[in-house]
Amino acid sequence: MTESEKNLKSERIPPVISQSKISTEANQTGTWRFLRPGYDEKTAPCSAACPAGEDIGRIEMLAAKGDLDGAWETILGENPFPAVCGRVCFHPCEGVCNRGEFDSAIAIHGLERFIGDAGIRKKLSAPVPRHTKVSKRIAVAGAGPAGLSAAYFLARIGYGCDIFEAAPEPGGLLRWGIPQYRLPAAVLAAEIDRIESIGVKIHCNSPIHEGRLEGLQRDYDGLFVGCGEGRPIPLKIPGEELALDGLDFLRQMRQGKETCNGVRTAAVIGGGNTAIDVSRSLLRMGAKKVLLIYRRRREDMPAFAQEVELAIQEGVELVELRAPVRIERKDRDCRLILGPMRAEGTAQDGRARILPADGEEESLDVQSLYRAIGAEPAADWLRPSQKGDVERFSRSRIYYDQFPIIFGGDLTNPTKSVADAIGSGKEAAMLFDTLFAEGREAIHDRLQQCRVGQGKSLSMEMYLSGRRKTRNKEEVPFERINTEHFTKAPRQNTPLPGPAHVIGSFAETEKSFSEGAAQKEAERCFNCGICNDCDNCRLFCPEVSVNLSDPRTCEAAGLNRQIDYQYCKGCGICVVECPRDAMSLTEETTPL
Amino acid sequence: MSRTAETIDTAELMYPGHVGCPGCGATIAMKLALRALGEKTMLVIPACCWAIIAGPHPQTSLKVPVLHTAFATAGAAASGLRAALDRQGDTETTVVAWAGDGGTFDIGFQALSGAVERNEDFLYVCYDNEAYMNTGNQRSSATPFGMRTTTTPGTNWKRSRKKNIVEALAAHRIPYAATASIAYPEDLMRKFEKAKAMKGGSRFLHVFATCPTGWRVPSEMCVSIARLAVQTNIFPLYEVEDGNRYTLNFKGEKPVSEYLKPQGRFKHLTQADMKEIQEMVDEDWELLMRKIGLDPCG
Ligand SMILES: Cc1ncc(C[n+]2csc(CCOP(=O)(O)OP(=O)(O)O)c2C)c(N)n1
Ligand code: SF4
Ligand SMILES: [Mg+2]
Repeated sequence: MTESEKNLKSERIPPVISQSKISTEANQTGTWRFLRPGYDEKTAPCSAACPAGEDIGRIEMLAAKGDLDGAWETILGENPFPAVCGRVCFHPCEGVCNRGEFDSAIAIHGLERFIGDAGIRKKLSAPVPRHTKVSKRIAVAGAGPAGLSAAYFLARIGYGCDIFEAAPEPGGLLRWGIPQYRLPAAVLAAEIDRIESIGVKIHCNSPIHEGRLEGLQRDYDGLFVGCGEGRPIPLKIPGEELALDGLDFLRQMRQGKETCNGVRTAAVIGGGNTAIDVSRSLLRMGAKKVLLIYRRRREDMPAFAQEVELAIQEGVELVELRAPVRIERKDRDCRLILGPMRAEGTAQDGRARILPADGEEESLDVQSLYRAIGAEPAADWLRPSQKGDVERFSRSRIYYDQFPIIFGGDLTNPTKSVADAIGSGKEAAMLFDTLFAEGREAIHDRLQQCRVGQGKSLSMEMYLSGRRKTRNKEEVPFERINTEHFTKAPRQNTPLPGPAHVIGSFAETEKSFSEGAAQKEAERCFNCGICNDCDNCRLFCPEVSVNLSDPRTCEAAGLNRQIDYQYCKGCGICVVECPRDAMSLTEETTPL
Repeated sequence: MSRTAETIDTAELMYPGHVGCPGCGATIAMKLALRALGEKTMLVIPACCWAIIAGPHPQTSLKVPVLHTAFATAGAAASGLRAALDRQGDTETTVVAWAGDGGTFDIGFQALSGAVERNEDFLYVCYDNEAYMNTGNQRSSATPFGMRTTTTPGTNWKRSRKKNIVEALAAHRIPYAATASIAYPEDLMRKFEKAKAMKGGSRFLHVFATCPTGWRVPSEMCVSIARLAVQTNIFPLYEVEDGNRYTLNFKGEKPVSEYLKPQGRFKHLTQADMKEIQEMVDEDWELLMRKIGLDPCG
């Protein structure tokens, strides 16, 4: 008996005063209720925008609480490459971050790198595969981000997986197409090692071509094709052969076979990420002047805006609205003839229409010239056809004609990015598993159940019936954040070195967060739609009807609070004072 | 604001099942106050809504003892309870008078004034819902200018200003007088803890507590409305020590119309009326800033 309860029953109070000796708990005030509050975790916009469907709001919540291991495991549930993506992803998440409407978006990208690096440093091991081993085996063509992701998720579900890679080392575009100043080799190697550690076998120098399909069909139950686009798109102008292929340059460079000694001026034709990577690499290799020639304008570039900005800061000179007309040999130099272009109206793809403009042609003498205007599948059979028994999905296509073959990655993705490739590998893993376990008819509904919000991204945690499966697919708009519970705070930014450090150095350009800055930044996250135990509901409830739940009995929902509907009168204060829309108020149908 | 389950004191000193209206702000005030005061507390409650919420006989909704008293007598009864405890040698228990605005600003004012003039050793809390709510919404001297009540109905809405009770108490030169709001729980609990620790003299807390039923606002807006009162400076959060040392806790920046518009009790007000209220708020704010020693515009 507590002291106060003793007082309550005290006989010391003179008996002439009537005393209350029973509590109000006998009154079932829940019968008054006509609106019912409840925990209703929803989808954060960032996670729906993430091509890998990462549970970003939860990752930041754990990071804010200092639980880096938990944050890392949460990423690994949906993406085997946090340290890679924390460096090379174009982070569409930040563009839709609700905090952006309040002060500035959360530095999700920088935090992912910080968490990913912590995982490597602490040698955390990948989540254990599901117990049930599946007797089926899948072959994967290409050890790039799509193939590695497909194999990682398949292995986690219990499949045996062999990856066949044409190059002498795995990584695909991550290894050969992205320079070390953006993605150090050691980081990539660590994340690939981890995928191998859960049983994925990678066979290098073992290209898959059409002739091998029959053999594969004998040995495997399915094939995932994610070998990307290896053949450069030609410029289709006279003198074409004088321009070198940009991707090939990057590949040679990674093998230490390129130098730029004596190059006064180099030019790169293109506006995508490869063009930017080639330009920035040329500067680092010692080219005195690097011109980036693009037939549209800077704002039309498919390259990530931040990369373009960094390239310009480092000294790359952008030449906009100039199209190459022909290339000639001039002594030992190349002479590039450029025609002026102009922007007008809007084309079907939403960008401005680019037309030839009046004016003189210009000529440019350079010592080295690269083209990087895109790539296409290296062989015809890799071009996913419309024919046959085929079904298309958001980020992959499945062919049933022989044995199930799924095409993914850049071969099928509308947005050709690393994160989309990872998302496509995950989609393929779900397709194979659903196909084998439940049959073709079940696929559509199964994928639908695993969607993150209303978008096309998928969640493996949902697929494996984790807690995330109960999350409402409704996305939390900014208006549903109760901003009264947040104070404005400046975004922490990752430090950038000056361009002076660039020449001759392939050291990583961007620095990571300090631990303090990372935690501070993670604390800024609203945790849209996700309970972070702020306790507002319990604090404000006038009915003492929000109780901390026993985690042992409430494991299923994974929530640390519950509402006592015996007494809750449905005032709705908890729902309004929930800062992050993790609760909802619905009409009461069954009081008590 | 981030609290974790571990850092929260989990024992509430209130039972569920009480008969307050859904969304009652005065109930939130009590719950938060008791979190800060702890179980060594004895309450004196005169006639008011809380006399009912604390439990119709033979029930109680509180885990601390409550002495129910007559409407006008909270100040006197609390003085007596303190004296009785002192006689028993119990100096630890905090005596808390818990009264409504009617019981404080109006009918209980003489008992309160007398007690604090003697500097009685108790904490007096007025939870302010700005009218006699328990008897169906009659105006009190805490009812603000512009509010409709059953005794200031229709076009006869209240034309006189709300009495400034904290200033009246500060004029008694008591050790501690402060305002608090259910929308600022950390600030409120800090003030209760501070008042509890200042033993030996009279402490007074004026707690703003939304009454969704009487104010005609949706119950779920209870806390938001209280927050707006602070954000528009119509209910500033401040403390006065020894009647002359002022501290401001929050500076609001919103126009008072944002507070008035969502409430049914002010629905009839015109733009001109709201402008008049804004001027009163500004005037009061300026006066307060002068006492605090701050630039009213800074
Ligand atoms: C002497 C006396 N007059 C009238 C009443 C009736 N009465 C009971 S509670 C109450 C209103 C109390 O108003 P307030 O103090 O503001 O508290 P609230 O009910 O608003 O919480 C009245 C008039 C009474 N109990 N005693
Ligand atoms: S505030 Fe956090 S959860 Fe919300 S959108 Fe931004 S990163 Fe995602
Ligand atoms: Mg009242």
